[in-house]
Amino acid sequence: MTVDTLTAPSSVAAETEPSLPGRAGVLRRLTRDPVALGAGVLLMLIAAAAVFAPWVAPYDPYFTDLSKAMQAPSAEHWFGTDNTGRDMLSRVIFGARNTLMLGLIGVIIGGLLGGLLGILAAFYRRLDGWIMRLVDVMLAFPAILIGLAVAAISGAGLTAVIIALVVATVPDVARVARGAAVGVMGQEFMEAGRAVGVSDVTLIWRYLTLNCISTIFVFLTLRFGQIILVGSALGFLGMGAQPPTAELGMMAAQGRDFLFMAPHIATIPSLAIFVIVLAANLLGDVVRDVLDPRLQQ
Amino acid sequence: MGRQILHRLLISVPALLGVLFLCFCLLQVVPADPAMIIAGPDAKAETIAAIRLELGLDRPIPIQFFEYIGRVIQGDLGRSIISNRMVIEELGQTIGPTVELMLGAMLMAVPCGLALGTLAAVKRGTIVDRIIMAFSVAGVSMPVFFIGLILIQYVGFKMALLPFTGRTGPVWAGGLPSLVLPAVTLGSVLIGPIARLTRTAVLEVLGADFVRTARAKGLRETAVIVHHALRNALIPVVTLIGLQAAFLLGGAVVTETMFAWPGVGRLAVGAIVSSDFPTAQGAIMILAIAFLMINLIVDVLYVYLDPRVQRG
Repeated sequence: MTVDTLTAPSSVAAETEPSLPGRAGVLRRLTRDPVALGAGVLLMLIAAAAVFAPWVAPYDPYFTDLSKAMQAPSAEHWFGTDNTGRDMLSRVIFGARNTLMLGLIGVIIGGLLGGLLGILAAFYRRLDGWIMRLVDVMLAFPAILIGLAVAAISGAGLTAVIIALVVATVPDVARVARGAAVGVMGQEFMEAGRAVGVSDVTLIWRYLTLNCISTIFVFLTLRFGQIILVGSALGFLGMGAQPPTAELGMMAAQGRDFLFMAPHIATIPSLAIFVIVLAANLLGDVVRDVLDPRLQQ
Repeated sequence: MGRQILHRLLISVPALLGVLFLCFCLLQVVPADPAMIIAGPDAKAETIAAIRLELGLDRPIPIQFFEYIGRVIQGDLGRSIISNRMVIEELGQTIGPTVELMLGAMLMAVPCGLALGTLAAVKRGTIVDRIIMAFSVAGVSMPVFFIGLILIQYVGFKMALLPFTGRTGPVWAGGLPSLVLPAVTLGSVLIGPIARLTRTAVLEVLGADFVRTARAKGLRETAVIVHHALRNALIPVVTLIGLQAAFLLGGAVVTETMFAWPGVGRLAVGAIVSSDFPTAQGAIMILAIAFLMINLIVDVLYVYLDPRVQRG
């Protein structure tokens, strides 16, 4: 018997749970739900505007013109201008670019590290206790505190925020990944793979990880909104991007000084964060229902 | 029950050591030499060496860590570089307002969340349910500072109903008005998740046999919901509050900064901005310990609320 005849564990798992739809079915079900469709389209538009910011933004986000300072929204400047006359729409687009990038980096690196830790903990029982203790210690620090501590050590900046977001993501992902992986470890194909002498690396990657990945992915989709909230809160506290760099949380904090003269300077970036997180949360809920109904409470 | 609480206490020891270690690192990895900062820019080399000796900075790191733990236990967290006051004094003055703010936020959020969640569950599938759930999703997606900005602008500034900067004093000494806006800001973040979970929990309990029995013996519907359904639904809600403690703490730091509320969070942010490492380290430590304590209290409450945990 060759090893290859046994390397299709994902199809085994799919057979035991026929309710899980195929890839085409997922997309169809997502587009049929009006909330998911709306949230998805909105998020894609915002992401596209963020990616192509230099071409989409109507003005230079860093060009100051004091003669146009603190103008209310108008046909010329859709979102008005800030205290130094910079175009708010352009700054919000560039700010969303930085805010989204922070969230994505946090979720991707945190997801990779956390997933790896959780899967290793499930696979090597010897490591389980140590890894879970480490996770407990990491859970003892709320993300904002990590951000404050890193900013205190290395100075405020985007790096401090990224480290905080990664550390905030790792422990929860590790727990979810471990839970999913422990379930897979109990399946017969794991034992079969081991019996025919499949190497640990292959077992972990092809047998274990590929079977846990959808659970981890769904969890990360659900966390994305929260991660963006934490990132923008750190920006608001001045621990993240430094002026003049546009980042939505920091822009809201700067606009606070002009709240009573020109409320739009602080309100519009905050509203932008709200819209992004709301769209991410709505989409995450539907993705969860479609891809992994077991995660639902 | 006592054994379980003791066990839970022991589990939090590694986490506590982790917190202490990170705070210790904060004093070690600082970009500038603390001795040089204390001595000032034009100090002589001998002065700096003397300060290093006095602070024990010349000894091996593990020994310094144990000495640090010893100092922390004695309440010696060093002196603020900016104000030259003992850090422990600064913390003593700021911890009260922070606790007050968090309690105020919980007192606002927990009843609101429970009421809205129960209402949504009882009116399941109706327009009331959908509106409450929509608000709940919106609340979860809202940055804390957005709510704060709106409240400051409208309630504080335009309508001039309530003060929005600083704290006029403790609640019992006429400080209540200044607490309202910060507490509502911080609490509003918690209403959404609490309402959502309460709805799920109440729906689950409403289908249980004992609720049918209660109805069958002719209890009024309000009595059934309050005494039978809500009481049992409280268990997952208490757990949720523990899980939301991180939000509560992070939100408190943002809220304190916005409303110039003289709490530990604002102290931490101010200390970091002005590179006051001893104060930053002390404030971060207190916040992390507070977080551990909230989780500990929640776990103990959980044992108390759900007798099944004791036996299990």
